[in-house]
Amino acid sequence: MKRLINTMWGYWVLLLAFSLAIAAVAYEVWLKGRI
Amino acid sequence: MFTFPIAGIDAPILLLVLVGLTVGIVGGFIGVGGGYMVTPALIVFGFPGYMASGIDMTHIAGKGVVSTIRHRQLGNIDWTLALSMVAGTMLGVELGVRLLVYFKTLGISTVVLLITSVVVMFVLFLYTQIETRRAHIKLKEMSRDGVEMGRELQTSNLPRFFQNIPLAPIMRCRTARVVVSMWVVVAVGVVTGALAGFLGVGGGFIRVPALVYLVGASTHIAVGTDLVEIVFSGGYGALRHSMEGHVDMVAVLFMISGAMLGAQLGSIATSFVRGPAIRYILSYSLVLATCGAVLRLLYVLTGQSVEILSLFAVMLTLGEMIFLCLFILSLVMFAQRHRKGKWVPDWVPPLVMAQKRS
Repeated sequence: MKRLINTMWGYWVLLLAFSLAIAAVAYEVWLKGRI
Repeated sequence: MFTFPIAGIDAPILLLVLVGLTVGIVGGFIGVGGGYMVTPALIVFGFPGYMASGIDMTHIAGKGVVSTIRHRQLGNIDWTLALSMVAGTMLGVELGVRLLVYFKTLGISTVVLLITSVVVMFVLFLYTQIETRRAHIKLKEMSRDGVEMGRELQTSNLPRFFQNIPLAPIMRCRTARVVVSMWVVVAVGVVTGALAGFLGVGGGFIRVPALVYLVGASTHIAVGTDLVEIVFSGGYGALRHSMEGHVDMVAVLFMISGAMLGAQLGSIATSFVRGPAIRYILSYSLVLATCGAVLRLLYVLTGQSVEILSLFAVMLTLGEMIFLCLFILSLVMFAQRHRKGKWVPDWVPPLVMAQKRS
């Protein structure tokens, strides 16, 4: 994990994956059925 | 869930406050209003398109004032540059809107608009990313050689070309430390304003790179100066939308309660980083917005039949806001750790200020 965070691309990918996961949870909790 | 009386819909309050907070942080940090993220999000929450645009514009105006005050305190605004650009921007917006109306009469406005967004944002992303990466490498070398690093480093030769255009009157922008023909600044305002008017956005993501790469302002000054433009354009937009009845003030109040805090955090966060860090975040914002626009374009081109494309676009918009916000907050956290001599990733030290700027 530390090696991944040590490169900018690794950190970028990790953070994006985490953010998309939060977005998916927000969608499931609040927005499903609205789109 | 809360029932919004003017819009006549039920929407989650917490999400509205969180959207305001995240876009406030991003806007205060990279100098954009964030309309390209907020409007699609509000439509997903259930607001009609015209009202999403009105609510977004009104909250941007309020947030812009807060960010501008903070950036003024941080010394990031060049008023000469800002006020010279306003006239050009207004003219440009009018030209852009007329161009959009022309394409609307041809019946191809949606496709042209999405293709233009994709091309403009991708070109800006590519140039900003390549230049910032070059500046980052240079900063790393300076750090390794023990050379003192300033708050700004940019490697583009474009500003030199534009600053050498000898058309009177020549402006001396003291805060930005730039000497440039007024016509260059006005032309930048017209072109960026036309693109913003055509694309139906505030245009911060076009103006900030333009101020850095064409006029030659530092990234911090470009961010602060662009926020002044956003106060003008957002204020005018809010007035027009309010007159048309497109604004649900209750929704605006919820959004702005988050945005007020976010805008201050984002503005203050700029004092922890060097210029290239802000440009990195701007380029990430551009590439993710480009991906969202590509998904929407594919959705339109497939006759709006492949619903999964629309769903991915929504997820990407929400994910983008969270990603940018977390990236900014983590940069501040890394800057604090770096100051205390604690471990930070290798790529961080050249991007953050080792000492607090006095």
